[in-house]
Amino acid sequence: MLASRLIPRTAVRSVCRSQSSLPTVVSPLSRWRRGYASQADEKDLVIIGGGVAGYVAAIKAGQEGLKVACIEKRGSLGGTCLNVGCIPSKSLLNNSHLYHQILHDTKNRGIEVGDVKLNLQAMMKAKETSVTGLTKGIEFLFKKNGVEYIKGTGSFASENEVKVQLNDGGETSVVGKNILIATGSEATPFPGLEIDEKRVITSTGALSLDKVPEKMIVIGGGIIGLEMGSVWSRLGAKVTVVEFLDQIGGPGMDAEIAKQAQKLLKKQGIEFKLGTKVVTGDKSGETVKLEVDSAKGGKPETLDADVVLVAIGRRPYTTGLGLENIGLEIDERGRVVIDSEYRTKASHIRCIGDVTFGPMLAHKAEEEAVAAVEYIKKGYGHVNYGVIPSVMYTHPEVAWVGQNEQELKKDKIPYKIGTFPFSANSRAKTNLDTEGLVKMIADPETDRLLGCHIIGPNAGEMIAEATLALEYGASTEDIARTCHAHPTLAEAFKEAAMATYSKAIHY
Amino acid sequence: MFATRVLRQAAAHGAERAPLIRFIGRRTIPTQIDHTPRPHPASPTGALPGNGNSHTSFSSYRDSVQQHGPLRKTIGSTSAASLGSVEAPKGVFFDRNELPERFRRTPLTLAEIEAVETGGAALFG
Repeated sequence: MLASRLIPRTAVRSVCRSQSSLPTVVSPLSRWRRGYASQADEKDLVIIGGGVAGYVAAIKAGQEGLKVACIEKRGSLGGTCLNVGCIPSKSLLNNSHLYHQILHDTKNRGIEVGDVKLNLQAMMKAKETSVTGLTKGIEFLFKKNGVEYIKGTGSFASENEVKVQLNDGGETSVVGKNILIATGSEATPFPGLEIDEKRVITSTGALSLDKVPEKMIVIGGGIIGLEMGSVWSRLGAKVTVVEFLDQIGGPGMDAEIAKQAQKLLKKQGIEFKLGTKVVTGDKSGETVKLEVDSAKGGKPETLDADVVLVAIGRRPYTTGLGLENIGLEIDERGRVVIDSEYRTKASHIRCIGDVTFGPMLAHKAEEEAVAAVEYIKKGYGHVNYGVIPSVMYTHPEVAWVGQNEQELKKDKIPYKIGTFPFSANSRAKTNLDTEGLVKMIADPETDRLLGCHIIGPNAGEMIAEATLALEYGASTEDIARTCHAHPTLAEAFKEAAMATYSKAIHY
Repeated sequence: MFATRVLRQAAAHGAERAPLIRFIGRRTIPTQIDHTPRPHPASPTGALPGNGNSHTSFSSYRDSVQQHGPLRKTIGSTSAASLGSVEAPKGVFFDRNELPERFRRTPLTLAEIEAVETGGAALFG
């Protein structure tokens, strides 16, 4: 670092000479002049984006002793996940579930409640308290680990310099030996239906509606659509989910589990129109009208709702990043092209998270953040893309890891299945929450776990055990021979493992 | 392979069962690491950065992308000269009002009409 700041006197003299002979040229000495503090200060790592990928990388880099700066334009750290994604949605999902349970599921538990009222403003405030607490927590971790937090919009000025338009006005620039792109993703808009975040909304708008809509249409039956659809359905909206494919849940969800999830959500009052495409939308009237048709055509229909949630997926966000200034490539879906060590065409510029390959999941981004910093610091990192769990936080929750039955069939990989229903699990029975099952898929010869799919209470927590087993190459017998506490929901997991090579005891 | 079967056989003979799970132990960084660029494991095409399979600009992306069929360039793909003259054939006249709105005459404002009618005096009234 110090060496880079020392300028040989001869170099200064020669620069001065050249300056005097060319008075019209902007002083080359300005390169050496001290400007903004961050400008003169070359960082070991400059991170563009303070979302899950960016902030985790920043903290890890700080822990590894790197001089690191993190640029974030939102004004708060944590990106989509903490501000307008995973975290606020979990707050609403949890509290709306409590409300729904108090309304519909107390009498048979021996609890009599009086007048139950929804205070949506207070529910939103509880959500904001969770979000603020967590985002401020990251700011604290930045300070603790010596990360410089720059509030502004970063764009590439050159391969080593990032120009930042500061949120408070003005401009600065940061020079980095290494640069990490972690700019995340944004909701994909629906062509012909302008998002106003009031009546035609994305997941961001769905987290802060000021009243419960009477009717809501969700375009897209993936995880985001079903979670937000669940929230507003529980709070009293009549929700219809329109999905182009014949299955809900999005890519990766096992067909058997998806079918059961649909059945259970339908029981809760959500309507589904699968194999249906939205042709056009019109929001000029009092309600938003959607012309829909069967995916194959021939069954046109008009739907209307007070609010339409567009949840057809997310796309990488690179707007204003200036990738073109340094010739970095994006693929046909807008993802930054990288190699296995997260390097772009310029090997000191790496890219992680939603803006590049792989599933758009916060925990995948976190793993990549740690690995990318380890590649920079130690030359070696590790992420197992075959073992990334997915969770849908509806009620019951759906979670899975590894391969599903359809993928194995398609790849002609032999497998055997063990299942165990929560209706046969003691803890689920005492909780009066018995819907769902654990489905374990194993290699028929070795019993090695190939995939695990859970729908049921606490599925999102339970999947951690399957993920650990899969990461370390455990067999279902290894799982089944491991003692699980009684009475717990996790016993269902153990018994499903047992069912792959023998018989479950309680079913 | 067949670890469980082997283990079951071993268990049948009274030996203790060994799990299939691999205990890796404390991690060490390999002394020799090959940093040659390899495709990212989650890359759908296996393309490497800088090999020209991807796009540097939106225009080059448009050239190859498919959206309800190929998004080929229809404008600018052939030179204007090759399309011939835009002059109307002899005896054929175009009405300006048949053209798209942006090519039509801008409507006069009331102030302009008055200015014309009064010979400009209205401007000073």
